[in-house]
Amino acid sequence: MKTNRNFTVTYILLVIAQMVICNYFRISPYVFITILPAMVLCIPLKVSTAASMLIAFGTGLAVDVLAEGIIGLNTLALVPVALIRQPVLKAVMGDELMEKGNPFGSRTAGIGKVMLCVSVAYAVFLAIYVLADGAGVRPFRFNILRFAASCACDVILAMLAIHVLNPSDR
Amino acid sequence: MSGNQKTFSLIFNAAIFILLEIAALGMLRSNGILQDTWAMKGAHALYACLWGKTESIKYYFSLQKENARLAEENFNLAGRIRDFENRGPVSCIHADTLSRTAATTADSTDRYAYMQAEIVKISNNSQHNYIIVDKGSEEGVVPLSGIITGQGVIGIIDAVSRHYSYGISFKNTDMTVSARIGKTGPVGSLVWDGIHTDGALLNEIPHHIGIESGDTVYTSGFSSIFPPDIPLGTTGESRIINGATYEIRVRLFEDFKALRYVTIVRNRGTDEISSLVSDR
Repeated sequence: MKTNRNFTVTYILLVIAQMVICNYFRISPYVFITILPAMVLCIPLKVSTAASMLIAFGTGLAVDVLAEGIIGLNTLALVPVALIRQPVLKAVMGDELMEKGNPFGSRTAGIGKVMLCVSVAYAVFLAIYVLADGAGVRPFRFNILRFAASCACDVILAMLAIHVLNPSDR
Repeated sequence: MSGNQKTFSLIFNAAIFILLEIAALGMLRSNGILQDTWAMKGAHALYACLWGKTESIKYYFSLQKENARLAEENFNLAGRIRDFENRGPVSCIHADTLSRTAATTADSTDRYAYMQAEIVKISNNSQHNYIIVDKGSEEGVVPLSGIITGQGVIGIIDAVSRHYSYGISFKNTDMTVSARIGKTGPVGSLVWDGIHTDGALLNEIPHHIGIESGDTVYTSGFSSIFPPDIPLGTTGESRIINGATYEIRVRLFEDFKALRYVTIVRNRGTDEISSLVSDR
């Protein structure tokens, strides 16, 4: 129970952190800093896909409404991450870890597997985000560069978010 | 988790996902002008694709009707061509001799009467093939009428019921058609080669006549069943038989496997010719 409450509080704090990032940490037009996909990946495994999609929707909407940006953009990109969360974790972590209900973390799964999961989640999120943000008016090269640069930055930041959210990693 | 539960869970997740994405897209559209245009463009492309596919499917199912209309038009045009060839530019004559229906036409010489028909059944894979067409005695079809298309001879009507007629296909090894190389060349008898669907043999061509490969073979008009000058095929390899005549391979124009509509042709002078022959 305490773990659940801790997770929820940490999750809400990280959402606020993401709002701060969106408002004050605009490094470059090529880099979009986000920890949202990592947060969605860290939602406990016992939470169903439908519930995690609703959580992702709420999280994205909160960031969209309270941070500067276009409402709906983070929401649109985050829901698919919640949809693929369980299949990706199952494929990368294996059935054993999934059945044990082990929390998502580098200590139980290994850094390589965690990085792989995070990369897939970020690839999906950023592909949708960059395309929707560009809305067909930005050149393809710009979109690709933005996707790659954001991916590189965000994966490192995601490891930190996972470390904060996952009790076994602390 | 059982199979049913798994399927239900999959459908449920998909439904939730689609709903949430639609909601997100809706918000995106109402909050960003560029995103609105982008989403509209995407939606229009999707509509166009869906409508295009629907139209294609609709078109596919209306093809049968379209084919029937084209066949009828083709039949009428063939009648007009026969008219022009025989008498000059006059419109086709609707005859009443063969069937006393408007679906029958005659050429301007009134020697032949034509009727459009649809194939109900056709066999192609035996040595004695047959055709059943959807016109019978009630429409005026009589035995020993020819079955033709614009690209060849298809067979001869052998038996007639009220609404259907049974014909012997040209693809019978014992059926011959009087044929001519070119419109004025030597005449021989054309018979199916019994092997190829588009292969025939033109026999009895005198060997002193020079034969060019690729010449068109037409009906001669010497038979009492088929009118002259129906193109049948092109000549190919030839060989001399018994040192006296050529046997020439002919590649038929008509694809028997794709046949659907035919024309039934009746020589109006058949009875007169028969009685003349029997009197002699």
